[in-house]
Formats: sequence, C-alpha cells, structure tokens
Amino acid sequence: MRHSSALWVVLGWVGFALLPWFSSAATQLSVNPPGAGLAGSALIDGLANGRWWLVPLLVPLTAGVGAVALPRHHPLHPWLLLVGGAVGLLWTVVQGFAIGLNGWSWSGLAALFGPLPQGQGAFGLGAALTMTAFLFQTTSGFAGLGCMKGDRFTAGAIGLVLLSIALFVFLPVGFVLSSAGDGGAGGFSPLALWTRLTAPDIWRLNCLYESRSCGVVWNSVFLATMTGLLTTLLGLAFALVAVRTGFRAKGLLRMLTVLPIITPPFVISLAVILLFGRTGTVTLALADWFGIPPSRWIYGLPGVLLTQTLAFTPIAFLVMIGVVQGIGPSLEEAAQTLRASLWVTFRTVTWPMMRPGVANAFLIGFIESLADFGNPLILGGNYDVLSTKIYFAVVGAQNDPGRAAALGIILLGLCLGAFWLQRRWLGTKSYATVSGKGDNGVPPALPTGVRVAAFATAIPWAVFTFILYGMVLFGGFTENWGRNNSLTLRHYRNAFDLTWGEHGLIWAGRAWDSLFTTIQVAGLSAPLTAAVGLMTAYLLVRQRFAGQGAFEFFTMLSFAIPGTVIGVSYILAFNQPPVELTGTMAILILCIVFRNMPVSIRAGVAAMSQIDRSLDESSLTLGAGNLQTIRRVILPLLRPAIVASLVYSFVRAITSISAVIFLVSPQHELATAYIVGRVEQGDFGLAIAYSSALIVLMGAVIALIQLVVGERRIGRRTTDRLALQEKPV
Amino acid sequence: MAGVVTGWTGRVGAGLVALVALAASPASAQDRLTVLCGVQEEWCKAIAVAFEKKSGIPVAMSRKSAGEALAQLRAEAANPKTDVWWGGPGDPHLQAAEEGLTQPADSQHVADLQPWALSQHRQSKGRSVGVYAGALGFVYNVEMLAKRKITPPKCWADLLRPEFKDEVQVANPNASGTAYTALATLVQIFGEEGAFDYLKKLNDNVNQYTKSGSAPASAVSRGETLVGIIFTHDGINQKVNGFPVDVTTPCEGTGYEIGSVSIIKGTRKLDAAKAFYEFALSPEGQATGAQAKQFQVPSNKKAPTPPEAPNFEDIRFIDYNFQKYGTAEERKRLLSRWDSEIKSVGK
Amino acid sequence: MSIATNAAGVEFRNVTRRYGQAVAVNDVSFSIRAGDLVTLLGPSGCGKTTTLRMIAGLEMASSGTILIGGKDMTRLPATDRNVTMVFQSYALFPHMTVAENVAYGLVVGGMRKAEAAEKAAAGLDLVGLSRYGQRLPSELSGGQQQRVAVARALVLEPEVLLFDEPLSNLDAKLRRKMRDDIRDLQQKLGLTSVYVTHDQEEALAVSDRIIVMNRSVIAQIGTPTDLYRRPRDRFVADFIGGANLIEAELIGRADGVATVRVGHAVLPVPDADVAADLPLGGVLLAVRPNAIRLRAEVGTGNGVPVTVRKATYLGSHMEYGLTSALGDLFAIDTNVVNPVPAGTTVTARFADDGVMVVPR
Repeated sequence: MRHSSALWVVLGWVGFALLPWFSSAATQLSVNPPGAGLAGSALIDGLANGRWWLVPLLVPLTAGVGAVALPRHHPLHPWLLLVGGAVGLLWTVVQGFAIGLNGWSWSGLAALFGPLPQGQGAFGLGAALTMTAFLFQTTSGFAGLGCMKGDRFTAGAIGLVLLSIALFVFLPVGFVLSSAGDGGAGGFSPLALWTRLTAPDIWRLNCLYESRSCGVVWNSVFLATMTGLLTTLLGLAFALVAVRTGFRAKGLLRMLTVLPIITPPFVISLAVILLFGRTGTVTLALADWFGIPPSRWIYGLPGVLLTQTLAFTPIAFLVMIGVVQGIGPSLEEAAQTLRASLWVTFRTVTWPMMRPGVANAFLIGFIESLADFGNPLILGGNYDVLSTKIYFAVVGAQNDPGRAAALGIILLGLCLGAFWLQRRWLGTKSYATVSGKGDNGVPPALPTGVRVAAFATAIPWAVFTFILYGMVLFGGFTENWGRNNSLTLRHYRNAFDLTWGEHGLIWAGRAWDSLFTTIQVAGLSAPLTAAVGLMTAYLLVRQRFAGQGAFEFFTMLSFAIPGTVIGVSYILAFNQPPVELTGTMAILILCIVFRNMPVSIRAGVAAMSQIDRSLDESSLTLGAGNLQTIRRVILPLLRPAIVASLVYSFVRAITSISAVIFLVSPQHELATAYIVGRVEQGDFGLAIAYSSALIVLMGAVIALIQLVVGERRIGRRTTDRLALQEKPV
Repeated sequence: MAGVVTGWTGRVGAGLVALVALAASPASAQDRLTVLCGVQEEWCKAIAVAFEKKSGIPVAMSRKSAGEALAQLRAEAANPKTDVWWGGPGDPHLQAAEEGLTQPADSQHVADLQPWALSQHRQSKGRSVGVYAGALGFVYNVEMLAKRKITPPKCWADLLRPEFKDEVQVANPNASGTAYTALATLVQIFGEEGAFDYLKKLNDNVNQYTKSGSAPASAVSRGETLVGIIFTHDGINQKVNGFPVDVTTPCEGTGYEIGSVSIIKGTRKLDAAKAFYEFALSPEGQATGAQAKQFQVPSNKKAPTPPEAPNFEDIRFIDYNFQKYGTAEERKRLLSRWDSEIKSVGK
Repeated sequence: MSIATNAAGVEFRNVTRRYGQAVAVNDVSFSIRAGDLVTLLGPSGCGKTTTLRMIAGLEMASSGTILIGGKDMTRLPATDRNVTMVFQSYALFPHMTVAENVAYGLVVGGMRKAEAAEKAAAGLDLVGLSRYGQRLPSELSGGQQQRVAVARALVLEPEVLLFDEPLSNLDAKLRRKMRDDIRDLQQKLGLTSVYVTHDQEEALAVSDRIIVMNRSVIAQIGTPTDLYRRPRDRFVADFIGGANLIEAELIGRADGVATVRVGHAVLPVPDADVAADLPLGGVLLAVRPNAIRLRAEVGTGNGVPVTVRKATYLGSHMEYGLTSALGDLFAIDTNVVNPVPAGTTVTARFADDGVMVVPR
C-alpha cells in the first residue's frame, strides 16, 4: 500500500524531471523548442528555457515526497498526498489550457499578466505520467482519509474514470455545446441560444391538424420510442426463445440476430431498398401477384423504423439474454408453489425480474435511434430527425455550428429524459438473483401465450433477416446487383487480390489497406471499451459515492450525441495544446472507446446488479483486495456481459462511420469510409463484396471472443443439455 | 481454481499482445503531404499516385465531402493538419477563402486555364483556383420513361409536367451544395420571385428532397424515381456503370460548379503543397480524371477532355454569379426562405 | 496441516455510523475479550449488522475508534483486516468448486497452491465435508453450504470470526445442530467470534457474552445469565426470555430485600438483582411466564385473581393466556397432567425466582 503511493510519487518525478514534457511529434514549436530527452523535461525546460510556469510543480511533487517520508499512520500522510496531488493536477491543467502555442490562450490573461515570451506545445509523455501520478496521489489521499471504505483501488479507479470521462467526453462536448450560444461576434449571447432552441421547425406540431410536417423533435421522439419498443420486444422474444425453450436451431437463431449488428450500416439500407423500394424485388412481386401498385412507402418513417429495428435488435438481444439467463429459477419455482400458474408466474415474477434488462434494452434502443444517422440519411426521405439535422447543420450548405449545437442540446435533453424515466421505472428495487447461495431450481416452461408470442415474433424476423442477408451475400457475386445478375468473382478479386511479386506477397486488392487499419483500430479499442465500461459499471453498481447519479448520466453523454458532432468536437478539442491527438490512431481509438462505452456500461450494470453483493464482501473479508475480487469473483460471473461488450465494441469500431469520418487521417482509412465511397459511386458490387467479407470477419472474431472469454460455470440444474451450454452470442 | 481464472486472463492477454503487435506493424508516415480530396475515390487515388510518381512526395489522401472538409478545416484552423484541399464545389472553397482558412497562391499554368477557373481565382482573392467544371442538369431513367411513354425532360419547365408528378428528386439545398447551386441558378434565371414560384410548383412533383447531392442520380438509376436534378458527371457515372440512364442540361440555361484547389493557411509543407497545386493544374494532373473514369471538364485547356464529358459548347450556361450567391448572408437568406416557403409546406 | 488460531480482542470506542441524516449506530462502546463468542442481539434495524460490518471493515465508522488486537483498525479496509465473516446468504462463489471456495482466501493471500489445497482440505475436514471438495456449491444442501462458508472463513485463521445470522436459512433441527457445532468449533479453536442474531434463544445458547442493541445504541451487555436475571430495562427484560410487564411501586429497599407493591399484593425481590440507582416509586415488574404459578384456591394472601382466557397444550408444557386486574398475562406451566381449563378463575402467585424490577 505504501509502496504504491511511493511508486506514484517516484513516477511523478520521473515524468517531471526525466521524460520529455512536451509531445514531440504533434506540434511544431516555432519558438525555442525544448530539447530532446532529458533536456526536454519540464524541470530543465522550465529552469533553462524560460517556461517558468512549469517550475511551481516542484511544490506538489515535494509534498508527495513528504507524505511518503512520514510514518504510515501519521495523520498528515493522506492530507499531504491529497492536497499535493490535487494542486499538482490542477496547476498542470490550468497552465496547459492558459498557455498555448503562441503564449496566453486568452487575450484577457495577456492584458492581466503581460505578454509571454513564448508558448508551449502539447502534453507529452512526461506530462501524461506526472498527471497520472498526481491523480493517483490524490485518490490515495482520499482513500487514506477513509473515503471509499478506505480502498485505494476503488478511489483510484473512480478518479481515473472520472478524469478520462472529463477529458474525452466533457471537454469535446463542451467545446461543441458552448457554440450553441455563439452570438456571431465570438461572444456568448443568451438570446441567440434561446432563438436557436425555440426555432419553430424544431417544435411545431402542425402534422396533427394539417398536412405539414411536424417539428423535428417530435419526429425523433416518435421514431426513437417506436424503435426502442420494437427492438426491446424482439430482443426479449429472441432471448426467451434462446434461453427458455427447447428450440433446436438456437445457434442459427443467435447468428441471425447478430448479423445486422456486424453489418456496415449502409448495406442494410441498400438491401431494404432493393427489396422494398419502388423497383424492389418484393414490391415488384407484390405488384405482379396482387396488383399492389409500387410506391415509395419505404422512404420515410417506415423505412427508417425497419432498418433501425434490424440494426438495433441484436443489441437488445445481447442485453436481454444476460438478464433472462440470470433469473434464479427458484424464484419462479417459488411462485409456482404459491399456486401461481405459468402465466401468473411469468407476469408476477419473471417479467419484473427482467425489468432492468427491459429498461436497459429500451434505453439503448431509444438512444441509438436518436443518434443513428446512417439509416435516416439513406431512407429518411422527407422525415427529418435530429441527428440528420445536426449533421447537415455542421456539414451542410447552411454551415451553422451554433444551430447544430442547439439541436445537440435538445438531443441531450431527450436522452436525459429517457434516462430519468428509466430510473423512475426501475426504482430502487433489488434485482439480485445470482446470490451466494447455490440456486438449484429448474427454470419452468414459459406460459403458452408467451411462448407462442416469442416464437411468432422471433421466427418471422429471423427469416426476414436471413433473406436480407442472403441477398446481400448473393449481390457480391453478381455483375451488377439488381440489373445484371450473372455470377462473377470480379468484385472479390478487385478488393482482395493477392499476387506474388519479386519481394514476396503483394496485397494488390483495393480493400487491404483499409481492412488492416480497421482491424487494428477495432482490435485495440474493443478490449479497452470493455475494460473502461465494465470498470464504470462496477463503480456504479458496487460503490457508493457522492454525485453517482450525475456521474452515471454523464457516462451516457457521448452515446447520445450523433457521431458527426462527436467527430467535430474531437477535432475542436484535441487539435491543439494541451492535448493534441489529431492525425494519430490514438484519437480514433479513444473516440470509439468513449463512444461505445455506454453499451458496455449498460451491459455491465444489468449483469452486475444480478450478482449479490455479499459475494464481493465475502471475498474482501477473505483478504482479497478489490482488484482481486473483480478478477476472481466478479469477472468470471460477468462473462456474458464481457462477451457482449467486447463483441459490441469490436463490431461498432468496424461498422461505425459518422464519428470517425473527421478523425480518419489519410494514413488510416477505415473500411466503412471506403465502402460508403463505393456506394456513392454506385459501385454496389465491390461495396457488397467488401461488406460480406467484413461480416465473415466479424463473425469469426465473435467466435474467437466467445472461445477466449469462455462461459460462466455456476452449475445450475437444467432441463436439457442444450441449455447447459450457455452460449451468449 | 486459479487455473480457471488465470487461464482465460492469460488467453486474453496473449490476444491483446498479438493485436498490439499487429497495430505496430505498418509504418505510418508523418512526412506525407496531407490532402483532402473532394471528388470520387478513384480519382483521389489516381492523382495521388500520379503525383507521387512525378514528384517523389508521398501523399496521404482522404476523401471528404465538401461540407465535411470545410467543417474539418474550420475545426483545425488554430493548428492545421491538412496541407491541400483539392476538388469539390467552388462554393465552399470560396467560403474557406472568405474565412481565411486558405492562402493565396499563383500558378505557372495561369495562361492555359479556362476563364471560369480564373474567375474562381479572382473571386477568392487568389486563395483558390478551378481545376474542373461540372454542369447542373437532369438525369432520367431511359427504360422507365420509355415504358411510360414519357418524353425526357429538356427544360426546367418540363419538370412541372403532370406526368412527372411525384417523380422528381432533388437534394435539400440546406444539406447539399448541389441543390444550393440549383436554387441559386433558378434565382438567376427566373429572378427570385419567379424562382420561388417555380419551386412551389415543382414541389408537387418532387417526391423527396434527398440529403446528398448525388443521391438522386443513384435513385434514378435504380428506378426509384424518374428524374433527378444533379451535376451531370454524377449521372454519367451511373451510365458508365451500366445503368439505363441518360443526362441532359436544361434549355433555359444552367449553373455549374467549379471544382477547385486551395492551399491551407498555415501548412507546414508549403513547398510540397505548391508542387501539388501546380500538378493539379497541369494537363498531366488533370488527365488523371479521365483515367479514373471521371467526366468533369478539366480547367486546363491543354488537358484532354474525356469523350463522355458533357460538351460545354452545347450547354447553355448562365453567367453564374459566384460572388453574390457564395456569400454567407445571401446563402442564409435564400435557404431560410426555401425552408419556410417550400420545405415546410409538407412533403 | 491444522488450523491454528490468532484470536484477538475487539474494542469499540464511541463508534458512530451515519448514512446521511440517519444514524445506524450511535456512540457505541464495548470490548470483546480474545477467545470469547459474543453475540450482537436485537430486533431488525437495531444496528447490530452495521456494527458487525464495521468490525469486518465493510462499513467505515463515521466517528470513533475500532481496535482489533489492540491496534487501531478504524480506517483499514476489509481486505487488510484479519477478520473473516460467514454471511447470512453464505456468499459461496457459484463458479468455483467447494475446495476452490475454501482455498480462495489462502490463494489470494499468496499461499502456494498445493499448500492452500492441503489447508483447505483440513478446513473441510474440520466441518466434516472432506468428500465434497470437487462439488459446486449449488450441488450441496443448505446446511452443507453453511459449513463450507464456515470452513472458508476458518482456514484463514482470523483474529476475529464474524457470523451474520448464519442459521436463519436452516430448518429448526439443523439450526440446533449447527449452533452446537459452531460453538464447539469456536471453543476447540479458541476463536474470537462475533455473532449476529435476532433469535434470543440462539444467543443465550452460544454466547459467552451478549450485547443487546436497540435503536442504534447498546441496551445492555452481559453474560446470558446476567441479561436473563438482571435486565436493566423493560426492553431487555422483554426481548430476552419474554416477560409480563406489570405496573408496580418500589416501596422499600433494606436488608438485601427490595419490596414491591403490585395492586394489593406486596412482593419481596432480592435487592442484588435490582439496579442500585433505582429510586423508590413507580417501577415495572417484569415477570417471566414460568414464574407465574396458578393455584385453584381463591382470595388468599399475595395471590392475584386471574381468569384463564386460553389454554394451549404444547406437550412439554402448557401456555396460558390470563386476564387480571393487572392486565393480560402470559404464563407457562409444566403441569400438563392437570391443566387449568379455559374460563376458570384461579389465583396467580409469583415465584421467588423470575421476578425482576426495571424502571418504567
């Protein structure tokens, strides 16, 4: 314990005195650049190069040394760590933001303190290490004072998660939202904010009484509610069929539900158009057989709803399956012994136990729908939603970032509302069912009504998905999809050609570059997302600290804002000192991690609230630290949630486009960006061939994750062998 | 027991190490010239390869729509990471120039350039210059028109014919530069009141205001709609890809875009950026368009014009006033008028 | 390999635990001798579980000092205290076998695997489950799971072993057996144990000393006999062993005898059992149910006339509900051969033993 504090104090000094303080690669310092290596450390640079504002950091660093030198139980020990760390962190941040590339960042400061001879670059390795050290000193100090039950690990984890969220969610979002009140001359104007927030095209309700379109907010809310309901319902149906029935082809069922999530977004929309568009296969067939005249019904609400439901049902399923699996059978047995019929048992016990899952699935569907922009873009027709409005306010002909920010605020408000409603509905009931007591019940059969409903919902949907994907895969092998259906391998050769040259293998296909970049980005961001998300979920479910509700809400923030806005906000925030990341792969990974983290958090929260707290406590009293408890007790029991978040974040990293389109540096082209280019060009063949390859790749990775993470073994008695092999997708 | 736990963490660890190793493998070049590319991807790639071959300067090319590129340049303004913005409509290039995001440059090819290319240079105060031009026009589905025995549209007025009811697509000018060009063109042809009268009538025939400017072209090619208002090269593209479409330009006259190139203010590779700028204006550089099956009209008179490209001699061009209709105020005014008078009337 | 003991004493000094405005434990002080089994007894919500969790380090005291083995542990988290706990829900890790569960604390503490397995086997042997090591917890009965939980806590040789209502999920017969087993084990190993229960019989049976808590404070500390014979207030008198509380008046204390007037009757009570600081005047007489003797004769001396409202036959004894001028009374009589039938009026007399005086 002492060692860790001492270690961080030492690392703080290393970062300050030995490592280069500024990032060398990102910024070119026009004036007086700090030397390389030791000479570029804050200590040398601050003393020798006139960057005097770095020198005061010696004070908190010395305070840390003082704290470590004190005997362990000395009352000053935690205080020194706390105050030293906090002051150090604060000073580093303040000077970083106040002094930019060319001296003071704000003219007001220059007027106040006089001009600076030189500016400074972005934080580098040294600054990062010292700040981390300060952070952990602060949290150790808090823990030493008895906060967080005196646990340094928890305190440190909360500090780390808070700081990362502040840096990678608040800061960029703040940059964008602050422009909502941009009065034009660079100043903040409440009137401008008010005008933007209350614009009639956002709120009008004309569609109720005349044939004009309603405000974009109502469109969004209606669409999101419908999508949330439909995805939750379908997810539930699939989960029930998969876990609670003797359905044979469960594997197939699960695969089918997962397909949409591993599909680049534009592909589903295209397939839907090719099926249901005015000249679509189904439309023409209906016209031929039943004389139903072809129409463009698919453009607008129906089409968007259909594609969003296709796209987000798998997420709902992933959330629901963990919850359905986690319900202790003995509770249902208990209800049955209390003379409850199958139906009454389902209604009074099973259903309420599934409520956290249902609420989480709905929340995710709702928010995903609000933020989705690919599907409304292609199929929205004249049905405007907030996400597309925001996108076009940023990149469209209007070029009005202020309006985009105002719409962003409204979108956030909607998410906040959904979140609040969810909390209200769940209330404070306990849903723990994986308790420390072995549950040896056998899950009862589903009541006939529910069973039939589950099958009747899940199977047609699965068939539909199957047809859709059959068409997509088939399309990759045709000359010109929809027009000339003769078979060819041309598109695949085009994309994934391999030849032998003088120096060995040549990756000649056009898709290889973007494919490799995509795999790297996804492969690195998936475990990070799962780790950050589950860590946060652990803090939310298992620890109690002030401001927890607000903290939980803010973790959802990045999810609620459309990717495009996030992308722009990342450039705004991370293109210049003190934090400069643009053009690196790191910014892509960070953006993807913090954007997809909420799903990971939701899955973790839902799963963790089903694990009885006494399991952690008993591990603690048996001498395991929090870290060991997480590793040995919680993680093994959380495997379904881990699989869910790994799969989700990997897949999202591959299929997402809107958030990263601004962050993609030319060196790192991503697969989706490439595919969208092909679609725009009308070159569907290659786009579909590439998409099919991605789908196969993601399927393989999902299988791999399943294999590596494994299943949780809690030895429940089961009625059939199949259910024993818990295989959450 | 520990076997269970360390077993899988070990496997996860091994997987992570493998991934990091994979991530580290390809060398990423920091010294490349960074170019935002506003045309189709094939052309982006073709010109990058050609330039690299000629100059030996490696290029990192990133395809961005005009709006995305402009948004990115704005966001980066304090510390630019981009060196050149090549391609895409002249309008946003003018805006970037107006906002001081780009810097003036002169070319040795000035003498060979078409007058419209130089007009872009003049209006942007030297900060941007035209590399190609594309005319605004109609794309229509030949097969479906024949099936319904409808004659193809030839003039703006034809689009108001009753047989095109619910059969016309055009982008939303609030979202797309293409559609804004169409709006400004109509205002210049018919006068503002006349243009809005026309648009109100056209509104009955429009089935959808798409978000992307080229979307009507692919909708027409798939038969989702009969006619679309687009830049002609987008329509030709579909035709070359084997769809039964054809392209025409309206008889009353039409507007056009001047695809431009600009050097970003504050670039750290000014020499390389200038080299690319020159290459983009050279006959050799402009020929890459045709090689990549792109059918815009090149701005260098010495560059070969692809045979598929619309013959500019046959097109009745209006004297498009980029100066007036490119300014932020005029744009905002026209767009909000369009929003309140056209868009909000249903659809 | 055997299980050794590191028993240490526990001391609370003015410990308070607040949750926001609510006070769960209010200014509590006590000390527990090494090797003792002490029970925290009280009704639900009295603060006994919070107190236990503060010993474990699962809750942090808002103020005050907690000493274990003479060392200040107030701010130390659970992980760093040598205190283990048997949970009400057993809290066995469902994904580990019984042997893995028992070895868990040893392994995370850094013991070599083979050694830990050996010690875990010794622990399982101690609770008579040596053959069940490879099962999963869900494959054991409740009582067996309970014993696994005990073994898991024991093998760490804790300074203090805590039990949080360990028997509440077991059937009556098993409870009695487990209760005796726990007590035997505790005495055999000389463990310091703190035991939380709301069952006074369980508390009386296993404890060296009992800490009775009520409404966040300690009501009384003492040996089982102390609490039963000399309750300090009406709560303790009633909660432990049950009592009929009758309004009375303390009219004199002399020569080792305290004199109490109940209605018309006057009773002598051993003065030693009455709190020394209790002034003359209104008091409560706490009468154990088995100290009420029913006699057929009516109207003699110190007897109180009562009417039998209800008579219940329970095999080993009779339970009577009585109505009298002193209020409703509850009595137990071992005479099951000639029970008093309901409806009859008889005289109730108070036995010498089992009558206590507590403040009103």
